Amino acid sequence: MLLLLVLVLTVSPFLWQLSTSLKSLQEDIYTRTPSFLPQQPTLANYAEVAETIPVWSYAANSLVVAAIVVAGNAVGATIAGFALAKLRFRGAKLLLGLFLATLVLPGEVTIVSQYVTVRSLGLADTLLGVALPGAIGMLNVLLMRTAFQAIPREMDEAAIIDGATAWQRLRHIGLPNVRGMLSVVTIFAFIGAWDDFLWPLIVLTDPANYTLTVGLQYLNGTFSANPRLIAAGTMISFLPIMIVFAVLQRFFFKGVEEGAIKG
Amino acid sequence: MRRYWAGLAVLAVAIAGCGLGGAEPDSAAPVTNVTGEVKGKVSLQTWALKPKFTDYVQGVIDGFERQYPGAEVEWLDQPAESYSEKVLTQAAGGSLPDVVNLPPDFAFPLVEQGMLLDVGQADRQLADVYVPGGLEAYRYPGAQGTYGYPWYLNTDVNYWNSELLTENGLDPEKPPASLDELISQARTLKEKSGGKVHLMSRKPELSDLVNAGVPVMSPDGTRFVFNTPEAVALLDRYREAYKEGLLPRGVLTDTYAGNAKLFTEGAVAWTTAGGNFITSLATDNPTLAPKVVPSPAMGTPPLYVQGLAISKATKNAPAALALARWVTNAENQAAFAHLVNVFPSTKASANDPFFSKSDGTRSGDAKVIAFTSLAEAKMLEPVQVTDAMKKFVRQQFALAINGEATSKEALDAAVAKCDELLKS
Repeated sequence: MLLLLVLVLTVSPFLWQLSTSLKSLQEDIYTRTPSFLPQQPTLANYAEVAETIPVWSYAANSLVVAAIVVAGNAVGATIAGFALAKLRFRGAKLLLGLFLATLVLPGEVTIVSQYVTVRSLGLADTLLGVALPGAIGMLNVLLMRTAFQAIPREMDEAAIIDGATAWQRLRHIGLPNVRGMLSVVTIFAFIGAWDDFLWPLIVLTDPANYTLTVGLQYLNGTFSANPRLIAAGTMISFLPIMIVFAVLQRFFFKGVEEGAIKG
Repeated sequence: MRRYWAGLAVLAVAIAGCGLGGAEPDSAAPVTNVTGEVKGKVSLQTWALKPKFTDYVQGVIDGFERQYPGAEVEWLDQPAESYSEKVLTQAAGGSLPDVVNLPPDFAFPLVEQGMLLDVGQADRQLADVYVPGGLEAYRYPGAQGTYGYPWYLNTDVNYWNSELLTENGLDPEKPPASLDELISQARTLKEKSGGKVHLMSRKPELSDLVNAGVPVMSPDGTRFVFNTPEAVALLDRYREAYKEGLLPRGVLTDTYAGNAKLFTEGAVAWTTAGGNFITSLATDNPTLAPKVVPSPAMGTPPLYVQGLAISKATKNAPAALALARWVTNAENQAAFAHLVNVFPSTKASANDPFFSKSDGTRSGDAKVIAFTSLAEAKMLEPVQVTDAMKKFVRQQFALAINGEATSKEALDAAVAKCDELLKS
């Protein structure tokens, strides 16, 4: 019962957007009792979005950013997480403490210095500049560390006795056991990169480089915001997330369970 | 847009704190050279005018390039959301365009950091060309000079849902023109409709206090003084009206989405909005738009100003000044006003019959009402009032209207908090 209630609460705004995106220009959008079924369903809004803005090239830009961020997190967070969980080196505790400390800082505080850094690297107005700051998420490192820690120490010790190097232990013992968490990290990284608005807006100047979230803002101009078009744009940007989730969902739920029973 | 500004204060502090990256314009820097030939590259940044007004802006730019051969304009248009954050990071990173569309409150943090050019000093003819209210908006306490060319103006007009008024025994041709009339008509509407719809649709704000003759700040702009007996009386009136059920419950909470939203939903019969409201309503709720009747705002109408500021770090000041002057000249502004219900800030436009004659539509009536109101319109809230202050004031007013605090207590608390925020 409670589950159903939560389902209704989370899904209904989404359905409202969907129905708005299908409503024709003759229909009222904001009413006291919102009607979910459009009276004259139409796909014209989607066509108009595609006409107004280059949806496909914006989506391609978003994909490039998301690919860099996903690759960075899948590789970087895995290696860092493995090092923090399984390797012993001086300052490991301090490093972990620093990681945790950066998590506490809200993004708004660092955004200006981040922009100045990216700019002086010569990456302002490039997709790499958009992707770089998110390429290794601290939270993802911590998640991967937890996953690696769940592997019994004895397995590692046995491998060490057999003469395995750190890389071999990562490859043959670590990775096969953290696939679930890896897919969680992948999904989070993808959604984070795909949905981000403020940072790409700040880095990018040339409209040709805009990501989808920034580009969709063209639908929301001064004196000219049509809620139907905005809703249609939202639906378009939502599709890829659904696809990624559908592909990875088998691993995803495995990963969620993995996190629940700590080793 | 207001909610996206939450990060603004943080960003402003960050700019002040972290050194200014590449560009460090301070008052000791050599004065920008403002005279010279108009040629070379110059950048112009507008706010969410693409794609609807692409043709218009491009036409203005083409005209400029024809007028000044050798000048080349690079046009950037920024998305509507998070514009203040974008501008502040541009400023911090030293990449502020030469000519930037900034409303007065967005320009204020940049003026404080000495990043905008005093166009009053660079262009002695400002006062002859632009209306005083528009120029006044770009003069700030604690800073000498005028920091922007006024561009288009707007003000608030009252809009009434004639269907709801007629159904509930009120005459849409005689809408309330004062708070007294508003309260008494709200009573009628509430009784006839059984409390299902309301007439009053918002709680008072600082601008309502100004309209009731209450000064918000001391003349030197160093402290807040709006806790006067007149302010107490105004809040008391609203408390009684609220107790009587003349306002929707939702107006006191933070989920209150604004009177225009309630109006669009048909939950209230009155809202205030700019001169272009009926046009945008025709997109949102096409069946409601024809039922809307405009009337002049109560009290002094608020003045909304858009303007073009010039970066102090510009490398091409003569062209930047010429471009800002060109975009805001009477002819180009009038052309813009023909496309959408906004109003030119140039004195020469005052006698343009286009603004003083309605085309017979309700939207045309609203345009004429707004244009007439502009003559008396003023910026009601001082620019020092930040979003954080507004939020606190809203909360205190809500407490007072709800009866959880007396009006005096709420106003004293609001003044104390605003003073504290002003100093920090």
